[in-house]
Amino acid sequence: MSERRTRLLVGVLAALFIAPLMVLLVQAFADSWRAPGVLPDQLGWRGFEVAFGSARAGDALVNSLLVAFAATAISLVLGWPAARVLGMRRLPRNGFVFLLIGLPLLMPPYLAGFGLTEWFIRLGIDDSLAGIVLAHVTFALPYAILILLSGFNREVEALEEMAATTGAGPARRLAWVTLPALRPTLIAAALLSFLVSWSQYGTSLAVGAGRPTLPIVMLPFIQTDPEVAAALALVFLAPCIVALAFVARLQRTPL
Amino acid sequence: MRLRRVEVSRWLSAAAAVTAFAVGLGACADDRQPSAAGATDFKEIADEARGQTVRWWMYGGDERINDYVDSVVAPAARRAGIELERVPVADTADAVQRVVAQRRAGETSGGAVDLIWINGENFAAGKQAGLWLDGWTRRLPNAALVDFEDPSINRDLRVPIDGQELPWSRAAFVYAYDQKRTPTPPSTFDQLLDYARAHPGRVTYPAPPDFTGTSFVKQAVIAKGADEGFNYLAELKPLMWQQGERFPKSEAELNRLFANGEVDFAMSFDPSFIASEVRKGEFDESVRPFLLEGGALVNTSYVTIPADAANAAGAQVVADLLLDPRLQAQKADPARLGIPTVLDLDRLDPTDRRRFQGSVASPYLLDDFGDVKSELGADQVRPLEERWTREILR
Amino acid sequence: MDTRDPALNLRSSASRSWRREDVLALAPAAVLLAALFLGALAGAVKVSLVPLGGGIGDASLASWRQLFADPSFRDGLVLTLEVTIASTAIAAALGVALALALRRSAGAVRAVAAAPVPVPHLLVAVIAVVWLGPGGLADRILGSLPFDLIGNRNGAGIVAVYVYKEAPFIALLVLAAMGRSLEQREEAAAVFGAGGLKRAAWVLWPTIRGPVVVGSIIVAAFAIGALEVPLAVGPNYPPTLAVYAFQTTQGDLISGEGRAAAALLLAGFLAIVLATVGVRHARSADNE
Repeated sequence: MSERRTRLLVGVLAALFIAPLMVLLVQAFADSWRAPGVLPDQLGWRGFEVAFGSARAGDALVNSLLVAFAATAISLVLGWPAARVLGMRRLPRNGFVFLLIGLPLLMPPYLAGFGLTEWFIRLGIDDSLAGIVLAHVTFALPYAILILLSGFNREVEALEEMAATTGAGPARRLAWVTLPALRPTLIAAALLSFLVSWSQYGTSLAVGAGRPTLPIVMLPFIQTDPEVAAALALVFLAPCIVALAFVARLQRTPL
Repeated sequence: MRLRRVEVSRWLSAAAAVTAFAVGLGACADDRQPSAAGATDFKEIADEARGQTVRWWMYGGDERINDYVDSVVAPAARRAGIELERVPVADTADAVQRVVAQRRAGETSGGAVDLIWINGENFAAGKQAGLWLDGWTRRLPNAALVDFEDPSINRDLRVPIDGQELPWSRAAFVYAYDQKRTPTPPSTFDQLLDYARAHPGRVTYPAPPDFTGTSFVKQAVIAKGADEGFNYLAELKPLMWQQGERFPKSEAELNRLFANGEVDFAMSFDPSFIASEVRKGEFDESVRPFLLEGGALVNTSYVTIPADAANAAGAQVVADLLLDPRLQAQKADPARLGIPTVLDLDRLDPTDRRRFQGSVASPYLLDDFGDVKSELGADQVRPLEERWTREILR
Repeated sequence: MDTRDPALNLRSSASRSWRREDVLALAPAAVLLAALFLGALAGAVKVSLVPLGGGIGDASLASWRQLFADPSFRDGLVLTLEVTIASTAIAAALGVALALALRRSAGAVRAVAAAPVPVPHLLVAVIAVVWLGPGGLADRILGSLPFDLIGNRNGAGIVAVYVYKEAPFIALLVLAAMGRSLEQREEAAAVFGAGGLKRAAWVLWPTIRGPVVVGSIIVAAFAIGALEVPLAVGPNYPPTLAVYAFQTTQGDLISGEGRAAAALLLAGFLAIVLATVGVRHARSADNE
């Protein structure tokens, strides 16, 4: 694509995707922003004062980060071998496995409120950060598997076979062939698992029995207090943007 | 660190009040005079409560109430040896859902919810299912300061509260108008209809089953009777905002519309909501409260303790603290929250009674709710909502 | 017959039976998901059948019957399906287009295109209301909007938000599957004289079909069952399935949870049906 068209596309994308988010940045500092003003009437710090004060954004941020990293790690570790088998070996009658993996994705998220909590209480894993992690893994693991699946294809298989014929052992093949070949897929899977965990609300609240996470502390302020909600939203989005930027750097496209 | 300093400087009055309270608590501990048996019972409970952590699940979207609980109630609880943990939820149903899940899992003790700021319908349904701890409310020392004969207190949406929930705050349904846009607000439903005729598209209310919307519909029915009330709403519909084809889905959405100048009236069961919205920079400073039909629909806010709560003793001590005149006075102070007290002022001794007087009135608060209306029953709510959906929405 | 190193677990297309290594590889994930989620699902089914405080003997289809008798639910089901199909189709088309346009772009550009992905649906809905709602920024800047997305009776607002959020998501999935090898194969096809359309059909599409189908299924399933977006930008009536479940438990959780669980289970079932149909279709195309 030509240089000019690329720039045009970037401009359109930026206007469409970045600009609307900018409103959060403005709203977080808008002590007063009434119609018909296009800009706030009054700026101030109330949003962040409340966010890090009574709304405990700091605690929530720590919890959310711990849980998201743990859930992502577990999802990738468990999902990798599963995706490999499902992606490379065309096994018969694997529909049942796919159904099991797909169920948490296909069921409405809101349904979790009507059964997950009770089940986790019966299992004794509720009322703890570990319980929240497991609840998040339930939803992140299917994403990880499905995305990793798309990376395990015939090319990778062929590459591994080639490496095997040159005498490379399984660990070598993994480190030097498979992982590099699946790098973009692995990164996408990690990113999405992280985001899935990051955005969980209902399961976190009920299973965690009130431990603060960012969605939990943010939701009550949505609609009722836009300034505080925007401040919390920025705290919520910051790690996501960092993750996205990190991923962008890793995914430098070869040309 | 910088934020902490700002917080402290902003809440200097709270710190002073709490200090005064701390000094006073020691002196006043013996002034309570509940029945002798009640006092012993409560002393045992207070002893058991020491060292407990109480999880109070309550709506978390109101910064003023959050601050009140964090900087007034929590320190008071700490002095009683209790760590109060405020669990913010977006809706009471979140808390009830946790309790229901615990019940379904067969848990009878060690529950993660110790105290809930509950709404009438969920209380009624939970009471029927046996979810709430019973028999604890009357023996609390400060319960003597509440007039439990008052039907608006001993019944929540007409369901007897028995010993299962304790009042902690008053609610009254008030409306808001902007003096700049509306020099004279309507004072009856019929006048509201006339206003809508004169200014089409400037009136709306949240759609049931939102609580505020349901309450508005309730008032129409209370004022005019069931069928007449619905005829009135049907007549109002085409004159409403967006010709009644679209309704705000919540009180918060209606507040946004009102703040943006799309409609001329807002409404809420929180009598201090105008003060709150002005403080948030949402409402203009020219907004004022008003009532319809000469009196507000009055309600009480309650807290309840699930029967399986892990720290029921601590929860009871906290509930008792909520009724402490000092804490109630700070809540009622127009400069702080302006939410009316649930205490019976006649039952207070003069020092306490004086706390509730002499504060500077706020233009955003009504000091008199007029000829108060009483609530409909909990069992009438769903039929009302369904009828509204059938006749008005579709 | 396989004469290579048995440690090699690689077969191209032979040996299509389950081996112990396969089961072991799948077991951790499968067992964890089964242990955690199937129990949860059973719990939800129980909620739809047994009222609080009852035992197995009190199970009945009362909630389900009430559900199907409710006109709000029936109308809501229709709206949900319409919105789902529209959102999925448009998001998939735009997602593929976006991925193709960006396949050679730098990471920074891709990051911009992927910007909506980490933003949770709830925030996107809130931002949509801030911009496009009555008295919103668009109104303030432009005077007033010619169209009305928020609260649109046909669910146009819902579709717009889903497309905004999911097109980049599908683009992300598609881009993840388009690597250097695809480029090489396309070049090879070009060398052999295949024109643009032929290359697209025979080289490009088989490579990206997987992520597109998977992505579309995820988007469709999400659209069927999600709550926050239709709650924020959808019409008052009819409610989508998840909004119906939410409204049924508003105010009073306990009397409504049976119907709510039933509505959500039905939504999940529809998602499963859609997914199965989608996968079968893709598989049959694969075998041609």
